[in-house]
Amino acid sequence: MCFPRSSDEVAAAVGVARRHGRAFVARGSGTGLAGGATPLDDPVVIVTTQMNRVLEIDPQARVAWVEPGVLNLDLSRAVGHLGLHYAPDPSSQQACTIGGNVGTNAGGPHCLADGVTSAHVLAVDVVLADGTATRLGGLEPDSPGYDLRGCFVGSEGTMGIATRIAVRLTPDPPCVATLLCAFDSVEAAATTVSGIIAAGVLPAALEMMDAPITRAVEDFVGAGYPRDAQAVLLAEVDGLEGGVAEQVDAIAEVARANGATLVRVAADDAERALLWKGRKSAFGAIARIAPDYYLHDAVVPRTKLVEVLRRVYEIADAHEVIVMNVFHAGDGNLHPLLVFDQREPGVWDRVHAAGTEILEACLDAGGVLTGEHGVGIEKRDLMPRMFSPDDLDAQARLRDAFDPDGVANPQKVLPRGSRCGELQRVPEGTWI
Amino acid sequence: MTGPLQLDAETLNACVSCGLCLPHCPTYRVTGREIASPRGRIAAMRAVETNEAPIDDAFRAAMEECVSCRGCEPACPSGVQFGKLMETTRAALPSPRSRVRRGAEWFGYRVVLPRHWLLITCTWLAWLAQRLHLVPARVGLPRLSARSLARGLELPTGGTPDAWLFTGCVMDAWLRDTHRSAARVMGATGARLAQPTNGGACCGALHLHAGREAEARALAERVMQSMPGVAPVVVDSAGCGATMKEYGKLLGSADAHAFSERVRDFSEWLAHQAAPRLRPTGIQVVIQDPCHLRHVQKAHGAVREVLAPAYELLETADDGLCCGAGGAYVVTQPELSRRILDRKVEALRAAGGGADPIVVSANPGCMVQLRGAGIDARHPADLIAEALDE
Ligand SMILES: Cc1cc2nc3c(=O)[nH]c(=O)nc-3n(C[C@H](O)[C@H](O)[C@H](O)COP(=O)(O)OP(=O)(O)OC[C@H]3O[C@@H](n4cnc5c(N)ncnc54)[C@H](O)[C@@H]3O)c2cc1C
Ligand code: SF4
Ligand code: SF4
Repeated sequence: MCFPRSSDEVAAAVGVARRHGRAFVARGSGTGLAGGATPLDDPVVIVTTQMNRVLEIDPQARVAWVEPGVLNLDLSRAVGHLGLHYAPDPSSQQACTIGGNVGTNAGGPHCLADGVTSAHVLAVDVVLADGTATRLGGLEPDSPGYDLRGCFVGSEGTMGIATRIAVRLTPDPPCVATLLCAFDSVEAAATTVSGIIAAGVLPAALEMMDAPITRAVEDFVGAGYPRDAQAVLLAEVDGLEGGVAEQVDAIAEVARANGATLVRVAADDAERALLWKGRKSAFGAIARIAPDYYLHDAVVPRTKLVEVLRRVYEIADAHEVIVMNVFHAGDGNLHPLLVFDQREPGVWDRVHAAGTEILEACLDAGGVLTGEHGVGIEKRDLMPRMFSPDDLDAQARLRDAFDPDGVANPQKVLPRGSRCGELQRVPEGTWI
Repeated sequence: MTGPLQLDAETLNACVSCGLCLPHCPTYRVTGREIASPRGRIAAMRAVETNEAPIDDAFRAAMEECVSCRGCEPACPSGVQFGKLMETTRAALPSPRSRVRRGAEWFGYRVVLPRHWLLITCTWLAWLAQRLHLVPARVGLPRLSARSLARGLELPTGGTPDAWLFTGCVMDAWLRDTHRSAARVMGATGARLAQPTNGGACCGALHLHAGREAEARALAERVMQSMPGVAPVVVDSAGCGATMKEYGKLLGSADAHAFSERVRDFSEWLAHQAAPRLRPTGIQVVIQDPCHLRHVQKAHGAVREVLAPAYELLETADDGLCCGAGGAYVVTQPELSRRILDRKVEALRAAGGGADPIVVSANPGCMVQLRGAGIDARHPADLIAEALDE
């Protein structure tokens, strides 16, 4: 394990790993939910937490160069006085690093309108698997040649290590409003989601939590989430004052039409912050219900939301496991959480079976495997379910182009046997 | 499951390794090492508890590097009671091998702290050493005043007051003038005050953090006896106040719970009284929240409330991260403590707009630590006393 402080030291660490025939794995804060930073087979773990400086801020161009270990929220704070922020806001934003965000192409509640990490990364300086350094992308609006930057973002450390990242900064909106809507059923909340979009409103964020999750986070933050609701929606709209007021009315109307039992607009910034703190603590707060959780991250078409959610609850019931839902409703990014206590004998088999069935249900509804958490080890063996052998082969060859010897975070993302001609074998999935 | 550390299984299992506590941990912030984070420490405890790892030097170091600031607790959505885990773990660690260290700990925890006269004697010796320029400035020992040490606190002892002013051990020896300020301000509200018999002496906080639970219990009993009745027990040291508010948990008795209910931080108590008249001073002060005031007592709002009429308050942008004082931590982990302090000083200067600001801090440990770095650190009681419009 090593803690480099500069790009040169990262290159040196990669060099040492190579000389000793070892693989290497990049690690930020280790908040990844797919096991991407988990070391397999004794690699050299290159931890970026000491590379945590914001190197340059250009308020005119709205660009900042940062080291990969800068925490997401720290970056927004560092530019806050300029009326700017870094838009992608994963729920883990106080803890996760920009490097990890680039690695997983992280999303967050506010990515509904603003786009995920990839849309906010202009250039990345990387140390490649052979220890050489290079720049992918650039600050110009349209860099010539292939968009290798786009390839790198989301590569989960399998194409090298980001050592400096140029990110786009977003101006703070002049006016923001946050609405809390409560419903008697999950269906009503889900129908409201499609209704809002159908009404022509694109909120900055649109999040949903079901009853058990809502109660767990309320126990932690005390933000005034209704404990008796079956589902709550958290919607945020921003822009110019007049427009915001109109959008608030439109959302409230759709919610009421779908039987909302409560529509409340946060009175001030403090209340807004508390509501968001609640939403962003959801994954952590579930230990109040059971000590372990197993989480999926599938995206389904918004129009199928009601139907898929119903299936999710049915599958969980059939396997006698508890499922809770908290997710980015606006873009159909589901996070069904199966909670359990691993000390209970046999529970893991049921959880695993339910998890796989839920994922199949999402894929059958035309969904995709992961919205934002990445593939890592966890979803790796499900890749063939979504991609044809030809697709996988193309991806494997792309990876080989960056890392011909397979030393950068090996055994992640692509299942063994992705390359054509290799024996197809699907090893048992790993639970992180 | 109870293993070698005797930890409560439910408390240990409550951690889901989400990492949301990481940025709130001072040792993780300065080192970036997982093992120096709450999540890493819990993982290490779990490994020991399930007999997957031994209690070795690395484990001991990982536990001792923790400042016990408990910044990870309010940050944790799962409600992991980290303080409890750490205290129990430390109590289960075998005593250290180094004889020198064992001797020093024995002398400090068992001999000096419980005997207030001895602490005052040692303080006189320190005063002498200070006059002879034998104490380097970076140690952060406050400038001891012979006048203050020679004069007792002008408060009746014992009786049935409206409120007790707890005087404690180190605070009374080194910062007695702050007690005087507190007494003046409290007096200005019209309350009749008293100090505990035998000064209340040491509350046992330092013992508890060092895993010396039995000694802490004995001290707690003594403190409780020194302030009988139902009157509020006002404490102007955030670290002591936090421990005294947890006597109920420590001793488990109904008496201890009732006593803990009476404990108030100085600012917290003041915020609930008819406010004494203060003169607006126009002076800017940066607020430093002592960890045990913010994370444990959650009474940091009161400091702002009582100071706001007289001072212009500035906030730091570091979520109240620890200053690295941590009771005995400065002595046991000087290197980490200094790195945490450097970060804090940077945040305080940034909040003060670059120049060296006046900083308000409600805990003697933090005040001493900050002063060691050349920061003009004052107690809220001192600032309010200065602004009293009498
Ligand atoms: C409570 C909680 C809430 C979450 N909410 C969200 C959410 O809303 N949206 C979301 O997208 N994710 C979310 N996540 C998942 C996680 O926080 C993100 O995936 C985040 O981007 C990981 O950052 P990290 O610094 O922890 O990276 P790590 O976990 O350390 O690493 C993640 C991956 O990135 C690679 N990597 C790390 N640093 C570099 C680098 N410098 N160069 C190249 N590759 C690198 C690693 O090898 C690994 O494959 C959440 C996690 C938790 C615990
Ligand atoms: S925030 Fe709580 S649950 Fe999450 S890693 Fe820290 S202690 Fe564990
Ligand atoms: S008590 Fe403080 S130092 Fe110890 S793990 Fe928690 S945050 Fe870190």
